[in-house]
Amino acid sequence: MLKRLLIDTAYKINTSNNYTKTKHFFYNLLENGDYRYKKVFDLFMIALIFSSVFILIREVKSHVNDEFLFFNNYVISVIFFIEYMLRFWVSSSVTEIIIKQSEHDALLGDKFRFLRALRKILHAKLKYVISFKAIIDLLAILPFFHQLRLLRLFILFRVFKLFRYAKSIQVFVSVISAKKFEFITLLVFASIVVFVSSVLIYVMEANNPASPINTLFEAVYWSIVTISTVGYGDITPITEAGRVVAMFVIVAGIAVFSFTTSLIVTAFTEKLDEIKDTKLINDISSIKEFYLICGYESVSKEVAKKLMQNSRVIILEENLQKVLQAKKDGFFALNYDPGSIESYRKLRINIEAQVKAIICLSHSDVENVYTTLTIRSFNKDVFILSILKNKANRNKLVFAGVNELFYEKELVGMVAREFVGKPVAFEAIHALRFSYNGVDMQEIVVSERILDSFTSVGELENKKYRVVLLGIYKKSENEFMFNPPDSTILELGDYLLVIGNTQFIKEFTNNLHKRKQ
Amino acid sequence: MEKIALIFGYNDYTFEIEKNIKFHYEKIYIYALDEEMAQKESYGYEIQTFDLSENWDELRRSVEIDECVAFCMLEDMAENIFLTISLRDTFKNLKIVALSQDKESADKLLLAGATTILPTTQTTANVIVEMLEKPIITEVLHNILYEKSNLKIAQIRVSSIESFDGLYPSDIDWSREHGVIVLSVVREDKSAEFIYSSKAKHHQIKTGDVFVVVGYDKDIVDFEKLLGGGCD
Repeated sequence: MLKRLLIDTAYKINTSNNYTKTKHFFYNLLENGDYRYKKVFDLFMIALIFSSVFILIREVKSHVNDEFLFFNNYVISVIFFIEYMLRFWVSSSVTEIIIKQSEHDALLGDKFRFLRALRKILHAKLKYVISFKAIIDLLAILPFFHQLRLLRLFILFRVFKLFRYAKSIQVFVSVISAKKFEFITLLVFASIVVFVSSVLIYVMEANNPASPINTLFEAVYWSIVTISTVGYGDITPITEAGRVVAMFVIVAGIAVFSFTTSLIVTAFTEKLDEIKDTKLINDISSIKEFYLICGYESVSKEVAKKLMQNSRVIILEENLQKVLQAKKDGFFALNYDPGSIESYRKLRINIEAQVKAIICLSHSDVENVYTTLTIRSFNKDVFILSILKNKANRNKLVFAGVNELFYEKELVGMVAREFVGKPVAFEAIHALRFSYNGVDMQEIVVSERILDSFTSVGELENKKYRVVLLGIYKKSENEFMFNPPDSTILELGDYLLVIGNTQFIKEFTNNLHKRKQ
Repeated sequence: MEKIALIFGYNDYTFEIEKNIKFHYEKIYIYALDEEMAQKESYGYEIQTFDLSENWDELRRSVEIDECVAFCMLEDMAENIFLTISLRDTFKNLKIVALSQDKESADKLLLAGATTILPTTQTTANVIVEMLEKPIITEVLHNILYEKSNLKIAQIRVSSIESFDGLYPSDIDWSREHGVIVLSVVREDKSAEFIYSSKAKHHQIKTGDVFVVVGYDKDIVDFEKLLGGGCD
C-alpha cells in the first residue's frame, strides 16, 4: 500500500509541469553554461565570494561593522546553503529512480523493490555529496558557525568556489587533469627526493651543534625550500656531507621545476585546438543570425565577401587546406563536414533560430545533394540555395529539398543574351544591381510606423528626395505594381522598390519613418 | 551591327550561349578545339574545328569578319587567353566576348584584347547574393531583363529634342507624363548617368543621348515616337 503510494507520488511529481519547469530552470541556472541567466548568477556568486574575503581581510586589523559581519556570516552563508541544497536537488532525480525501478520490476513480474530503489537514490545523492566541488560548497557554508573561530578560516574555501563560476579556471583544471598521470609521477618523484634528502640531511647535520638543522621538521622544510628552487637561505647545511646532499637536491629541484613547466606547456598545446573549438562553438551560439555556406570554392569566396557587408557568414568545409585558405581570406570558417548531422550537433547550431539561409556551394553536385539531404533530415523549413554544376542533376537537387538553385552556365548565357541584345540597358541595370557609382536599388517594407504618416503613393514625395519609385510589391495580391499612380493605397507588408543614390535612399527611408507632425 | 556570332569552344557554356543569342544573329558558327571534338557528340550542331596554332586564314575567307562577334568560351583559362590574344592579333577590330573564371583571368583577358568579359564566378555570386538579400528586386529585375512580364527595358536614342529643348532630364516627371521610368541617360561620350545624379542634373537633353527606360510595351513605343528615335 505504502509502496503503491510512493510510486503514484513519484509519477505525479515527475509529470507535473510546474515541478519539471522549476527543476529545469534551476538546473539551467546552476549547471547549463549556455543558459543566458547563468552568467548573471555566476557573477552574483563571484561578487559574494569577494565581499566575503574582503570582510575577512579587513577584520584582521580593523573593526568591521556588525551589519557587515551579519551579512558575511549569515546572509552569504544562507545563500550558499540554498545553492548547495538546490545543487543537491538537481544532481539526480529521486522520482525517476523510483519510476525506473518500479518499471523494471514490473517488467520482470516482481514486486517493487523499495530497498533497492532507496539504495540507488542514496548512491546517486552520496556521489554528489562526496564530489570535490560539493565538498568545497559545504566547507564554504561552515563560517556560518562563526562562534568557532577556526571555522572562520573556512571563508577561504569560498574562494575555491570560484572554480564553479570562472570558466578560465575550469579550463585550466581540465588542462592539468589531462596530464594527471604525469603530474602524479612527478609528485611521487619529488616526494621521494624530499623524503630521502630530509632523512640524509638530518642524519648528517642534526648532531653538529653549529648546524641550524636540529629537528626532522627543519630537515623536511629545508628539503622542500631547496627542491622548489626557492632557497630562502635561512637554513643551510654546514657539513661537507650535508652540502653534497644539498647539491643533489638542487639538481633534482631543477629537474622537477623544468619537468613541471614542460608538462603544463605540453598540456596546453595539446588542448589548444579543443579550447579554441569550444570558444568557437560558444561564439557561434552567441550569433543571432547568419548565413551558412557549405563548401569553400571560388564562388563561396565571392558570395561570402558580398554577404559579409550586411550579415554574418559561417563557412563549413571538410577540407582543412580550404578552411585555412578561407581563414586567410578573412572568413569565419570551420573544419566540419557540412554533410554530417554530427557537425551541426557539435557546433550547436540552432538552424531554425540562427540560420537565415544555407548556401551549398561545393564543387560537386553529389556533395551538394548530400548536404541538402542531411539538413532536410532534421529541418524542413530552412531556406536552402544550391549551385548546380551539371544540368543533368537539377532534378536530384530539387528532390533533395533545395529551394532555389543556380546553374552557372545558364546564368552566363543569360548575361550574354542581355549583352548582345541591349548592352546599354544591360550596363545600366547591372550598375544598379551591384551599386556601382553609389546608385543602389532597395526594398523598403511598409511598416505600421510608415502607414501612420503615409497612406498613399502620392504622399511619399520620392521625387523630392531624388529617388525613383520603380513600383510597389503588393503583398495582399502577391504581384508587382509598376509605376503606381499617386492614388495607390499603401498596405502593411507592401514593399517599395526604390532606385537612387544610397545616401538619398537613406534620407528618404528616414523620412518615411519619421512621424508627420 | 554584327550579324554573325562565332563561338569558340564546345562545352556546356556553348549550348547556353547559343540558346540565348540565336535570335539576335543571322548566323552562328561553333568552333571546337580538336581535342574537345574528340570527346563530345555534336548534338545536331554544325561544328567546325580549330586549334590554337591557327593563323585564321580559313576563317577570314569563310566570313566577313567586320560583321562578326567572337565568343571565346574555352573552359581552360590559359587556352582561352591564348585564343583571345590570337584573334586580337589577327583581327584588330573584332568584338571579342570572353569567358573568365576569376578576377585574375579577367584581367589577363582584357590585356589580351577581349572587348567584354563574361565573369562566371562573379555573375553566379552576384545573383546568389541578390537572391538572398533582395529577393523582390531580383525577381522584378529578372522579369524585366528576361521579358518574363509585360514590362520591358529599352534604350532609346534621342533624335528630336523639340519637346525637351533646354530641359534637364530630372526636370520632367517621366513616370506621370509618359508612363515610363527613366533610369539613366547615356551621353554621346558613352558616359552613363543615373537620372537623379548631380551630373545628369546639369546636363541638358541633346540629340544622340540614349535613355534607358523601363515601361510597358505601348508606353515605350509612344516614348520612342516622342524622342523621334528608335530602340537601339
